[in-house]
Amino acid sequence: MKKITIMMFVLSVFLLGAKIETKAQCKQTMVYDCATKTKAIYLRDFNAKLKRTDGSGPGGKWIVKLNKGTRYRFNLCTPSGFEGKVILTLYDSTHPEGTSKWTTKGKERASFDTIATRSGAYYVSIKFAEGQGKKKTCAVGILSFVGKN
Amino acid sequence: MNKKVLIYLGIIIGTFSLFSCGGEEDKKPPKHLGGSGVNNTIDNTAINKIIESFSSPVEMAALIEDMKVPYSKKYLVPTDNADDFDTNFKKALGLGMLSSDLGYLNVYHKQNGIVEYLTAIKRISDDLDIDKYFDFQTLKRLASNNDNLDSLMFLSVHSYHQMDEHLRETERSDLSALMVTGVWIEGLFLAVKVNEYANSNTLRDRIGGQKTILYDLIKVLKAFSSKPYFNDLISKFVELQTAYEAVQIRTESSGEVQTIIEDDGTELIIDNEYTVVDMTDEQLNEIAKLIENIRNSLIKE
Repeated sequence: MKKITIMMFVLSVFLLGAKIETKAQCKQTMVYDCATKTKAIYLRDFNAKLKRTDGSGPGGKWIVKLNKGTRYRFNLCTPSGFEGKVILTLYDSTHPEGTSKWTTKGKERASFDTIATRSGAYYVSIKFAEGQGKKKTCAVGILSFVGKN
Repeated sequence: MNKKVLIYLGIIIGTFSLFSCGGEEDKKPPKHLGGSGVNNTIDNTAINKIIESFSSPVEMAALIEDMKVPYSKKYLVPTDNADDFDTNFKKALGLGMLSSDLGYLNVYHKQNGIVEYLTAIKRISDDLDIDKYFDFQTLKRLASNNDNLDSLMFLSVHSYHQMDEHLRETERSDLSALMVTGVWIEGLFLAVKVNEYANSNTLRDRIGGQKTILYDLIKVLKAFSSKPYFNDLISKFVELQTAYEAVQIRTESSGEVQTIIEDDGTELIIDNEYTVVDMTDEQLNEIAKLIENIRNSLIKE
């Protein structure tokens, strides 16, 4: 009887855990807080669920179209305790993810601005910094409009 | 198996079912609205990622406002036209165009106009069964309160993205594609009309630089070419693409990538590679004429 009870408990934790994990993006209140503290016009958000990992990934990746001559701001927000453990990277085909300098860690400096020098597709990734993924969490990236160059 | 085990099993299954509510079932398209009908030769996920990548409905308006161009209601789609959007095809396109106009009204803080456009968008979102992602009452309350402009801006743009995302999640990517098309053409129409008198290098570059973005837009629309009305829309954009072929975009580079820490602590990164758009006045005029024709045909047909 005891064995069956333990098995049932493990099964229920697994089933509930699996279901919750699929919805483990950050809550909308966190997206709102992150978006409204940027002092720029909110354009869109990147809401990532970050699974536990020994390395730096996996995280979320998005394509985003930027326009030449516009100054954009990328902000990164994480739940308390994960500051500096998650990175947001902006890259394109000529500056691949691994070599990109468009990165913020969300601790010392939680955002960066960039002036797009061409119109077209760029990529945004959010993932754990190397060796920082011991506990699953979520993170929000915010893209906002600062002004024209 | 004794009674206690059966009760426990019942609790687990019941609890799991409860957590499952609103899951996959929620993501199926309502029967009366149909599926996306995406062209099977193109990966649905890839198309959805491209659709998602298009600009926010507020970006072009933000640029125009940043240039200190005065507000003008004549650039907007009259809300009366929303009554003529009598198919899901027209409703989705119209929703994108009106969302772009709402972005324009938001950046210029035109409270009265905002409520009028919110009402028109609410009606269309009801028809497309995405109204639960458009919090009309809260938006209307925020629009009436001058103190909450940041919240109004956030919620307007966020609601647009939520509606767009829900369409893709419920296998109605064709309607999502039409929404981003509506935003794109309305934003470009705004740029063209303002540039008629502003004659700005910023806008000229913005219009010319859309050559690569138009290529992606046509790729998305062609993925739904088997759906009603799409071929006519595609042919209009292909004609625009032909006009864009004469525009040359070349890449140049100078020095290293610069990282500047500004006085307020902001980190600014500037790429060392940049594009130069070569476009004559004649080419610009031809493109502008086609953009205006396409946009006006979409709100009159």
